[in-house]
Amino acid sequence: MPALSICINTQTPLVQFLGTNPGTSAPGSPRADLDLAALTEGRDYRYSPGGVTRMVYPLVRRLIHEGVLREAHWVALNPHAPPTVRLNDLTLHNVSIAGDRMAGYGTVKEAIWGRIHELNGVEEHDELFWSEAFSEYAYYNRRTAELIQQLDEKFDFDAFYIHDFQQLAVGHMLGTLKPKIFRWHIPFDAATIPDKWRAMLSTYLRSYDVVVVSAQSYAKSLRQLEPTGKVIRLYPYIDPTDYSHPNAVQVEAVSRRIGLAPEDQIALVVGRMDPIKGQDLAISAFAAVAADYPHLKLVLVGNGSFSGSASGLGLSKSARWRTHLEEMVVEARLQDRVLFTGHLGQEELDSLYERCRFTLLPSVREGFGLVAVESWIHDRPAIVTERAGIAELIRDGVNALLFDPDESGALVRQMKRLLDDPGGKLRARLVRNGRTTARKCSLDAAERAEGEMLAAVTEA
Amino acid sequence: MVNLAVLGAQLAFLVPVAVIILVTVVLAWVVGLLVGRLTQRTSPHMAGAARRLAVIVVALIGGTLALQALGVSPDILLLVVALLGATALIALRDPLGNYGAKYFSDIYTPFKVGDTIQVGAYSGKVIEINPMATVLLSDKEQLISLPNAALLRDVVTNTSPQAWKEVTVPVTLPGSVDLPAFESELLKSLSKLRMRLDPRFPPVVTTKARSPQSTELAVTLMLRRPEDRDAITSETNKRLGEVLEQVRGARR
Repeated sequence: MPALSICINTQTPLVQFLGTNPGTSAPGSPRADLDLAALTEGRDYRYSPGGVTRMVYPLVRRLIHEGVLREAHWVALNPHAPPTVRLNDLTLHNVSIAGDRMAGYGTVKEAIWGRIHELNGVEEHDELFWSEAFSEYAYYNRRTAELIQQLDEKFDFDAFYIHDFQQLAVGHMLGTLKPKIFRWHIPFDAATIPDKWRAMLSTYLRSYDVVVVSAQSYAKSLRQLEPTGKVIRLYPYIDPTDYSHPNAVQVEAVSRRIGLAPEDQIALVVGRMDPIKGQDLAISAFAAVAADYPHLKLVLVGNGSFSGSASGLGLSKSARWRTHLEEMVVEARLQDRVLFTGHLGQEELDSLYERCRFTLLPSVREGFGLVAVESWIHDRPAIVTERAGIAELIRDGVNALLFDPDESGALVRQMKRLLDDPGGKLRARLVRNGRTTARKCSLDAAERAEGEMLAAVTEA
Repeated sequence: MVNLAVLGAQLAFLVPVAVIILVTVVLAWVVGLLVGRLTQRTSPHMAGAARRLAVIVVALIGGTLALQALGVSPDILLLVVALLGATALIALRDPLGNYGAKYFSDIYTPFKVGDTIQVGAYSGKVIEINPMATVLLSDKEQLISLPNAALLRDVVTNTSPQAWKEVTVPVTLPGSVDLPAFESELLKSLSKLRMRLDPRFPPVVTTKARSPQSTELAVTLMLRRPEDRDAITSETNKRLGEVLEQVRGARR
């Protein structure tokens, strides 16, 4: 198969710009194209943490390296960036929309997010697709589709790979006969979709040749909306080489910085500050065991998402959620036992993985749950919510421990299993089998699966 | 040296011609505007054609008067134009009939690509509508090409499920119009009709074709009651025209 040229589209940009610099959006500065090599990571820009970009970027890099892709162009919402940024073989194209339109768009995406994750009632946003805010969602998607269309005229792409529900309408708006792939990253349960949303979602889904989801149960459920293209399950993935194994000195330095004593044991939760991530469940469960395990501490790593950041959409739900969690901690009188670190760089995070006794993924709903895979590649056992896509890869007590977030005491019970593990037998089994399972969610596996999918869709 | 007085006298006969041309231009603009207003409840497609026709008629009359003012008899010219027109109409009768039928069927015939229709003895799924013919794929996988003129002459039955619900209004946007802004404003405007539309099916704008000069769109609405079809089509056309003007105005 000849090497392909593809256009990727995500809401969250791969790179977020910090402050002002000659190439970015300083008032009055020229919005010239930019080569990222001319800037400094950490000072001028940062890679968007976690989520879709964390997954897609290594794959694109690998597919270009392996010759599957000839070139890739990545279109994303990035209001504070120059129109085009070069990053080796990848070209980033940034979409910008006015603040008032952004607010409407944000309302719609949060409503869809909330309903899919069952945070909102079915009736709450019944009229969503008739609302004025929806016209702004359509505006953003159309603006994106127009840019992609212009790029296609110039670069003649072989396929379009659209990611996540925020971009769902883009495929319908692209007037092209070329293959269009859509990856649905969040959970999918048709039972959560309001009746008045079904036709619209179905219209959009039917414009894609392939719809990719992260779990078999999502695929089965999504078929109820009768997409015309194929629905396939591909596990999300990470590149294990992106993760380091810091030595004892480095681990100690990070531990000291965040306030851990040498005798402390850690239960680690990694995830952005969002009600859906279930940090409140972790705090409640920790409060129930804290008295029995005086050296155990709960460490919560993470900030807001791109949507919540000042360089993103500026929605402030993460700050509200963190305040709520801090109030919970104060109420339980655990201020010296629960630590909020905020966002950590990868090496610091790796240090905490190495330092922790086990990780918790307490999400109320989770599209997949790559945090468990990160835990496995650091040889740490994971306690995982049953409501995560990754749960279909887990056998309780074999490669991880599962719990039902709706069942009172379930998380406490599983934490105690690991804390009271005589001889560390359970821990050893979970680590050994977890490492094997992690291979299914590795970049190597993704390269094969995504490469085959791209070949099939472009050759079909 | 040129004698300006003599030159002025020689060119004086051009003054009425210039006045006629000026009046014609102004009149064409006013008539175009009036016809636009009168046809705003029809599709922008139709309204545009009516405007163009009115402007051409005014320009022809103005041109004839200007020729007369120059002392040229327009009779021969008009005769040649009329003969050429008649010859072309006779020679291209069938294709022009089909093309004209396609033009009207775009606007008024209640079917689209993907629907299943029956026309006389023929039935099948509509797989193509081109300027000359509408192509059906029969149950036996035969291709049936129906001249578009036949679709205006014969009874067309759309047998697709709930075909009565769907109203598709075509619209051609000039390339200079900001499509995202147009779509956004159109959705806002059409949401005001939601009491008359099926609440499960909000309006959808679909791109049919595009070129640097224009983008062809289809606006699809689903009715709540079949008897609203005509009123909704008319109202949608009116709103399409208004939004187009609004977006153009914002750009200016």
